Amino acid sequence: MSFVWRLPFPLLLALRYLRSTRKDAFVSFLSAVAAGGIGLGVAALVLALSALGGLQQALRGEVLARTPHLEIELPHPGPSGDGGQGAAALQERLLALPGVVHVQEAVHGRGWLESAGLVQTVDIVGYSGLVPRFFPGAEGGAPGLYISNSLATRWAVHPGDVMSVVSPRSTLTPLGPQPRIRSLPLTGTFESGRTEDVERIALPVAVARPLAGNPATFLEVTAGDLDAALALVPAVRALLPRGAELRTWEQLNRPLFFALRLEKSVMFVAVSLIVLVAAMALVADLALVITSKRAELGMLATMGATPQRLRRAFLWLGLLIAGLGTAAGAALGCGVALFLDHYRLVRLPGQIYFLDYLPFRLDAPDVAAVLAVTLTLALASALWVAQRVARLSPVEAMRR
Amino acid sequence: MSVEVRVRGLKKAYLDATRRVEVLRGIDMDVAPGELVAIVGPSGSGKSTLLHLLGGLDVPDGGRVEVAGEDLARLSGAALARFRNKMLGFVFQFHQLLPDFTALENVMLPGRIAGRDPRAAANAAEKLLAEVGLAERLDHFPNQLSGGERQRVALCRALLLEPPLLLADEPTGNLDPATGEQVFELLRAMALRHGTTMVLVTHNPELARRCARLLLLEDGILKPFNDVAPVSEILH
Repeated sequence: MSFVWRLPFPLLLALRYLRSTRKDAFVSFLSAVAAGGIGLGVAALVLALSALGGLQQALRGEVLARTPHLEIELPHPGPSGDGGQGAAALQERLLALPGVVHVQEAVHGRGWLESAGLVQTVDIVGYSGLVPRFFPGAEGGAPGLYISNSLATRWAVHPGDVMSVVSPRSTLTPLGPQPRIRSLPLTGTFESGRTEDVERIALPVAVARPLAGNPATFLEVTAGDLDAALALVPAVRALLPRGAELRTWEQLNRPLFFALRLEKSVMFVAVSLIVLVAAMALVADLALVITSKRAELGMLATMGATPQRLRRAFLWLGLLIAGLGTAAGAALGCGVALFLDHYRLVRLPGQIYFLDYLPFRLDAPDVAAVLAVTLTLALASALWVAQRVARLSPVEAMRR
Repeated sequence: MSVEVRVRGLKKAYLDATRRVEVLRGIDMDVAPGELVAIVGPSGSGKSTLLHLLGGLDVPDGGRVEVAGEDLARLSGAALARFRNKMLGFVFQFHQLLPDFTALENVMLPGRIAGRDPRAAANAAEKLLAEVGLAERLDHFPNQLSGGERQRVALCRALLLEPPLLLADEPTGNLDPATGEQVFELLRAMALRHGTTMVLVTHNPELARRCARLLLLEDGILKPFNDVAPVSEILH
């Protein structure tokens, strides 16, 4: 006797009915449509989520590379009145915290950059010490003026060329208000972020501060990684003077991360509709099997099979059909995603997007959510149809 | 093992379009343990309905059915299903074998439903099928068997759990006379051998006469058949 006979009776019956559907062309067709539809839905969901995951990861990487892990805005003016000495003391205390890799003083302001009659509105980032991490390509460079490589290419400027930074604030002189202009040679370039909508320039803090009009002082903290940075928050907060504000990389990019999460959720719901339609096909398939097996179900009831056990058999049948479709769909979706990612087959115009191919990233929680939603929908559909079996009268069922 | 069947004031009516048809108008019946009773009557007289009520497959409008002292009306859901599994064997005019299961598996089904060990159920099923001459047909599916063979498989299935009560509804009605005779003899022999109480509904006057007792269902009333008229005249 095969092991199948050792299975619970409802599962045994479901396995036989699954096999028997292959003998009936129409039932087979409907079963294939249901399983295929579910498989297609699962594959589409896995692919869509992995494409979105890959894109979001690249976007996060791109954005976070230009964002400090933790940003502390000191009260204006700084603790010592000029934002310098107090900031330096706090910087020392922050560096003593375990997990803090680097702390850098910074100021932010707006202005214009001018070179050979060309003018560009820029965000001025003043930094202390070496060039900070969030200027990729110039990271750790000697103090000086840094602009993005795209602007340098557009203006055909090279390191050593003298450029002028113009402040929107004027200086009052006996001759009247005079613009604040600082001319200095270009030290180098950093990689331009394709997600940035405003040009940035990096300047030593001592140069940037007067140009930005005595702005608030920031301390930008770098931790081992993003999660380590979030773990540091309580310890850092404890060191802050009254009036100082602490913002994490999450808070600094909150609208972006919210948009990414929303996009993923909407995509999930939209593509899940395919699975919902396939679940309807499963309902039709199970209803047809029940109708074609009516007399047999009546006979099983006369032999003592309870309505609950017969109902469970159809739940199993629904789960088996959906399970086959889900497994095939998950394998297909994951396989295609890995293949497309490995060979970078989905090309993007690099001039328009910040990537030249679409990356795919398989996240276990995403795949698990797809499987859970699909099987839950299939189970609910099967349960709905299986109720009919529980209400079947043996005499009515066997009447021909 | 055999049981007593006791029926009192059993009533059943159906709605036929707009008309209420009273099929059973108060049936009283007693079947002694191990007795073989045949019920005859014209078509549409309610013989099958009576058999369904005896097996708890349908619910009466009035009266009660007791099998081994158990009032079927008091059983519901799982208890009734358990009762049918352990106490009753059904044989129908159409074999009602499950086409996706082999002859052996069809016979094993009641055992599997009862939760019996598959090996023990298979041994018992093999033995029964050998008794009815189907030892060589164990792995055949119903569509590979003749009408008589299918009915013999159905008979084995009804007897697998050695139920004390066997209800047979026109078991030979779909067979040619020779095969019908064979199946009836098997049914009777096996019921006798297993000491089973049996209620048989039939259209076949010859078979009916060979039962221990003959009852006539006519106009919704069950009465002893007194031989005033030949059975064949009543049936046709």
